Amino acid sequence: MNSIVVDGMAFSLPLFIIAIGGIYSEGSGITNLALEGFLGFGAFSGGLAVALLGGAMPPGTSMYLAFLMAAVGGMVFAMLHAVLCIHFKANQVISGVVMNVLSSALTAFLANQINASVFGKASNKFMLEVSPRITISGLSRIPVLGGFFTSVYPFEFIVIVVALIMGYILYRTPTGMRIRSCGDNPQAVDAAGGNVARIRFGAVMVSGALAGLGGMCFAYSISTNFSPSIYAGFGYLSIAAMIFGNWRILPTFFACILFGFARSGGYYLVTKLELPSSYSDLVLTLPYVTTLVLLIFFSRSNRAPRALGEIYDKGKR
Amino acid sequence: MKRKGDGCKRAMIRLVGVGKGQDIKTALFCILLALVAGSILLLFLGKNPLLAYKSILQGAGFFPKARYAGHRSMLTDFMSLLNYTTPMVFASLSVAIALRCGLFNICVSGMMIASGFIATVLLGYSALPAALARPLVVLVGLASGAAIGALIGWLKYKYNTNEVVVAIMFNYIISYVVSFFIQTKFVDPTTRQSLKIGQNARLTLFDQPVGNLKMEIPLVLPLAVVCVLLLSFLFSKARLGFELKAVGMNRKASRYAGISVGRTMVTSMVISGALAGLAGVSYYMGCFASIQPKVLPSLGFDAIAVALLGNSTPWGCFFASLLVMTISNGTTYMASTLGVLREIASLITGILLLFSACGAFLKGEADRFAEELEEERIAAVKGGRA
Repeated sequence: MNSIVVDGMAFSLPLFIIAIGGIYSEGSGITNLALEGFLGFGAFSGGLAVALLGGAMPPGTSMYLAFLMAAVGGMVFAMLHAVLCIHFKANQVISGVVMNVLSSALTAFLANQINASVFGKASNKFMLEVSPRITISGLSRIPVLGGFFTSVYPFEFIVIVVALIMGYILYRTPTGMRIRSCGDNPQAVDAAGGNVARIRFGAVMVSGALAGLGGMCFAYSISTNFSPSIYAGFGYLSIAAMIFGNWRILPTFFACILFGFARSGGYYLVTKLELPSSYSDLVLTLPYVTTLVLLIFFSRSNRAPRALGEIYDKGKR
Repeated sequence: MKRKGDGCKRAMIRLVGVGKGQDIKTALFCILLALVAGSILLLFLGKNPLLAYKSILQGAGFFPKARYAGHRSMLTDFMSLLNYTTPMVFASLSVAIALRCGLFNICVSGMMIASGFIATVLLGYSALPAALARPLVVLVGLASGAAIGALIGWLKYKYNTNEVVVAIMFNYIISYVVSFFIQTKFVDPTTRQSLKIGQNARLTLFDQPVGNLKMEIPLVLPLAVVCVLLLSFLFSKARLGFELKAVGMNRKASRYAGISVGRTMVTSMVISGALAGLAGVSYYMGCFASIQPKVLPSLGFDAIAVALLGNSTPWGCFFASLLVMTISNGTTYMASTLGVLREIASLITGILLLFSACGAFLKGEADRFAEELEEERIAAVKGGRA
């Protein structure tokens, strides 16, 4: 039974941090379909940093370098989306799709090129260290809840800490207030002396950093390498979680948990019932089907940020 | 009176254009920018960009190669390009008609798999004569795509579900369910893909002898052209096209004008789905003969950007598809002759799309510059009189 909780949390938390990135960006009024691209580029940057510098570092520490560089890489790449949406007034949905196309093309190209010219091998992967798993000895023996303290990835703690900080900033500080106002009523922010373009730019950069971090988590938990297979739709899934969570952090958290547990529960079921492995395909649809059904019930009360996707126009009333 | 910036402004206006023909000029300008950026990239890799672009054109069949294998020529390369362009035309039209109505169809990939799979199972393994099987394949593709489109549109209309999220969910559900059926029932144990379909149901003729050449003949390409013509007519002349555009621009105003917004949205998703279905059968039963499980075709996502490059107009989509497929098809040859990585194709396409996303901005700037110059001219004339 523990495996449901263990795998569920390992899947939900990266998804959650990416979704928080989405909340920051969309909360400030910039539609963000580009999370998929951001997370891929972040994982690429982290993987590259480990490939270049990881050998010179003491074992076990390269992971933290990877997370740092993933956040930086995602942030830098997100600036492209921000420039396009804010300064070049591109259609935000289209810009997001272009970012995804560009990110997967760019990382595939660069990974091949760098592997060929720097390391002299034909590969599109960067290998990572196997992440350690932490089991807290006393707490892990609690029935049912023990799963939350068994073979935990170190990144899960990072995610929780970062999520708490991001939640605090968004809901308890003047900065967060401004970000959210930019999404609902940018004219008011402007009138109050805020710089809408700058706030939105910052919010998109934050979303890139968080998505990059999440992408790196997936790179560690799913494959222990960076390869183009990181583009498996986790970004889109976290967008779904965000919309489902009504663009608020706490409900989004539960949406992510739902996805993760539906997925791990399904896998558990397949192994428990000793079904052939091809049945796992059917089980993998569970998170998506659940979302679809729940969306049908809850969409009426859904409320997106009011100025979402609109290009800010000072003169508009 | 003449200031320094005026020259730049004039150049910009000339390149991007103002008023009539602006759309085409902007698209060409974006392509030019992308080619320049691509050249810089190629120079950085130590390759001659002119040679690279020439070999792309050679690979795509616009320019003769140095030598050809038996039964091959420039014409066979070009036919191969058309073969791979056909599904892209359908897919980009599918995105374009949804965009017209303000809806974003990100489910093209899912619809393609679904229609390709349904048609494969129903007709791909049957023994029907080709003259009967092929039209049926087209019809099945059309119907299954339209059904999914209708479902998404109806959910949006009835329950106000966000069509982007629903489409994403459908993509994955379809992909996994189809993968399940392929792996349990129709798997080819050596290729790990679905069993190859029979030649009688295939929408592309491969190795068809014409003269002393053996070429690929995409049978549904004429249908793609017909779709382009029909959509052009729909957008410019028909009432439905006008309603789609009105709903896309302003839902409330359309409602006040007496347009049934819900019905129009569902209709546009149905047409969009039908076109995506055609893309699916021409891709999985034309260009290829089997389905790879668990892989959403990237063509469905690229089509979104292609539709944008083509400015969501039918002919724009057609030529944008041709351009993008020229780059991706021709790069295989470039990769082998110049020793560049094959991945550069999607990178150049990506850069192209990046610039075309800025098209609206360029247009706006050109208009603004034109206005400024006009004002200056008027001011100068007035100054001269005084």
